[in-house]
Amino acid sequence: MDGAGLQKARESLDIVYLISNLLNTGLDRQTLSILVALCEHGVNPEALAAVVKELRREAAALNRGGNGQSS
Amino acid sequence: MMEGEVVSGLVKQLVLRIFPSRSKSAEDGAGSHGEVVDDVVERAHKYAMRIIGSRIVPSLANDEAAMAESVKRQLVLEGRSSDALTFADLHRRFSSLSGAGSIENRWSVLYLLKAISEDQRREPSETRGIAGPLTSTISRPAALGGLAALPDSPVKARLSNGVSDSVYAPKRAQRSANLQKGYASEQESLAPGGMLLLSKDAENLKAAALREYVELNQEFSEVTEMALVRDVVYACQGIDGRYIKFDKEIDGYKVNDNLKLPKATKVLIRRLCEVGWLYRRVKEHITESLEQGPMEVIGTVGQAFCAALQEELSDYYRLMAVLEAQLHNPIPFMSTVEGAKGAGNYLSLRRLWVWLAEPLVRMRLMAVLVDDCKSLRGGAMAGAIHMHAQHGDPLVRGFMGSLLRRVCSPLFEMVRKWVLEGEIDDLYGEFFVVPQPVKAEALWREGYQLQTGMLPSFIPEPLAQRILRTGKSINFLRVCCEDQGWATAAADALAAAGTPAGGGGIGYGETETLEALVVEAAARIDRHLIRIIYDQYKFREHCLAIKRYLLLGQGDFIQYLMDLVGPDLSQPANTVSSFKLAGLLESAVRSSNAQYDDSDVLDRLRVRMMPHNEGDRGWDVFSLEYNARDPLTTIFTEFVMARYLRIFNFLWRLRCVDHALSATWQTMKPNCSIARLWASIDGGTKSQLAAVMRRCQTLRNEMNHFVTNLQYYIMFEVLEHSWANFLDEMEEAHDLDELIVAHERYLSSIVEKALLGERSQLLCKTLFTLFDLILRFRGLADRLYENAREVQTRGEIAARRKVKELQASVPYNTGFRKLPTVQLTKELLASMGEEMDVIAAEYSSLLEGFFAQLPVQQHVDLKFLSFRLDFSEFYTRQHMGTSTMHIKLKRTPKF
Repeated sequence: MDGAGLQKARESLDIVYLISNLLNTGLDRQTLSILVALCEHGVNPEALAAVVKELRREAAALNRGGNGQSS
Repeated sequence: MMEGEVVSGLVKQLVLRIFPSRSKSAEDGAGSHGEVVDDVVERAHKYAMRIIGSRIVPSLANDEAAMAESVKRQLVLEGRSSDALTFADLHRRFSSLSGAGSIENRWSVLYLLKAISEDQRREPSETRGIAGPLTSTISRPAALGGLAALPDSPVKARLSNGVSDSVYAPKRAQRSANLQKGYASEQESLAPGGMLLLSKDAENLKAAALREYVELNQEFSEVTEMALVRDVVYACQGIDGRYIKFDKEIDGYKVNDNLKLPKATKVLIRRLCEVGWLYRRVKEHITESLEQGPMEVIGTVGQAFCAALQEELSDYYRLMAVLEAQLHNPIPFMSTVEGAKGAGNYLSLRRLWVWLAEPLVRMRLMAVLVDDCKSLRGGAMAGAIHMHAQHGDPLVRGFMGSLLRRVCSPLFEMVRKWVLEGEIDDLYGEFFVVPQPVKAEALWREGYQLQTGMLPSFIPEPLAQRILRTGKSINFLRVCCEDQGWATAAADALAAAGTPAGGGGIGYGETETLEALVVEAAARIDRHLIRIIYDQYKFREHCLAIKRYLLLGQGDFIQYLMDLVGPDLSQPANTVSSFKLAGLLESAVRSSNAQYDDSDVLDRLRVRMMPHNEGDRGWDVFSLEYNARDPLTTIFTEFVMARYLRIFNFLWRLRCVDHALSATWQTMKPNCSIARLWASIDGGTKSQLAAVMRRCQTLRNEMNHFVTNLQYYIMFEVLEHSWANFLDEMEEAHDLDELIVAHERYLSSIVEKALLGERSQLLCKTLFTLFDLILRFRGLADRLYENAREVQTRGEIAARRKVKELQASVPYNTGFRKLPTVQLTKELLASMGEEMDVIAAEYSSLLEGFFAQLPVQQHVDLKFLSFRLDFSEFYTRQHMGTSTMHIKLKRTPKF
């Protein structure tokens, strides 16, 4: 990818990040870039949103579970 | 497959990202716990892949703008307008990026962010364990595709208790899922870690019971309400849905017959679909007029109407988009818990009914307007809409008002342009002022007309007249007067009315502003026009000139003219040369005071020969003409000039008769030749001659009395009086119309009073017969005196000859010659006496008729005439004793 393309990609990602913050999605840059990449691969965003949600829930449950275990 | 691998890789990364702490510990590989985590990550990855794999195709149309709009709306709804603005800005920047390196699938990204954000928002309530809004009557239909696979998922497997063994018929799947949700709400937040959060409080039980009820209710129908709602939303946008389709035969939307639905639902659907039906009508009209119809038929007002409708429709579209977004908004998530929560966002038919209540009213109004205005154009259309705006409902009034403001804008622009610039910017015949193709001189009277059909009812008729006149004045100034000063007058008017010069500041509902503008413009332009007419074109001077020459006000000139042209006019009409008469006119001007008049005025004075018949004399066809040039022809039209001509002819004839009587007097007055004749004749002849002459004198006197008084009356009571009135009115005239009316009144008062009007035709005829009679009398009197003089001269010559004869003693038979002359005179006198009797009898009977008809005339001024003519009541008394008078008359000539 040439410099200009890279520049543009970064810019796009910046904007997406700003929007994401605006909407309080709670996603960090890294996660966001993965998601954008998935979108660019034509993955259904509806499903992707579901995945993010599920995973988050799992993670939360896991955390809670872990905490429970540790305590 | 490459694609799949990439996706899989990415998902793996994602999973690792979301489980950061665990993955870290997994990397460490510390303890058995790490393996558990690995296992969890693995499962999560699989699960995620399954979810992704379950729905490849998005269930929503790919519309980035709509998505952005929905995000914005969401932000605004949350009361974060500034964030909404920031978002709009970001989105603009986002979508402006293109080319290599930029994100192609922007819609997806936006959608994703929005969905996640909504999930985040819902999170807090979820942890608190509050069920979805109870008001929602729809159960959440299960996800479209991925549900059948759900129980297989590891998470699900752990979740599902008794439900998983239910029948998995495709139709049942939904129900089972719903039931699951019902339980799920009881169980609340089932974590994959195996922890159950139970919350069996009363509220949740109630919710569950309600859901149960909804489930049971749905048993009846084969189709979910969700699908029906979607269909209704489609139908409202004029699109056929799966179950609800437009039926041409019944002209409305109809639910598929095969569908078993409760009656109430059907009724509700039918009501909702009214919006769709109305929408179709409106849309049809718009497309018909904007795309197919020729421009001439629609016109600018029609176009504005369509544009306004279109704008209304786009509002409607916006609402429909929101509704549709609401319809799809809560993505059917796998989790039953979320499903139950999301149920609150779904639209039910009833909710839709509430949502559509206002659009329905608007749409109904639009449809009514469309029906009413289909065949109308221009001002008529605006008027028709205005009639609809006269409504008690403030909503309707407001809606119509805003619609009218847009519809009328081309119309008001036309008015403004017409009033201030005199231009008709009306390609399609929509303005209520219509130009007519006429010549310059008829521009004022016929150039522009008010087309009442196109006059919208909110512009009152007098205002319309004023508008018409103002623009007409400008055009008149421009075309006929070649004047440019009106532009400043118009600019002044604009400044005075306080409207901005550039844009058409007037809109519908501001009739007062419009009126103020029109009044200002009218006043200024009219004043300017009147000034031009008076100063530049010297209207007053020309009126005076016409009065002096055509109405014989310049006495000395007329006298000269009559003396000069008299001999020529006695010839038969076809031998009279108008060139010669023109020359005579010239010399008459030169020899009278008229020579000091303005040369411009004198140039316009012409001789005119009227078309003549066989046997007409020059007197009958001669007339004067005044050529009022171009702008003034608006006032002195051909018709007006024809009336002037009639008056002139009458006055000319009157003057001619007067002139004739005066001329007769010259021969009749006692002079020495008569006295000598008197001396020369003898006996019977003498007394006979005396009687005839006496008769002649009295008759002439009588006629002279009549003619002089009539002339006096015409000149002073009629002409001067009317002229004085006209001068006053001229001062007061504010615009050309008033001036024209004043002049018209002046002219018709002359015509009326001078007995030339319609009502006094008979009188006028009598008068003309009287004139003829007087002229006949003149001929007779002239002949009488000529004969007398001839006799006298002959006698003298004979006497002289006799003297000579005696002197020269040449035998000359004079006695023989003298005798027959005397005898001739005797016979002649007898015949002349008889003729004079005839004339006198006719005259007195005509005069009597004239007097009898005079009081019949309505005009009050004619009373003066009758008083003047008969001030000693001689004629009245004579009329009383007609029989005795006859005897008296008969007796006189008998000798």
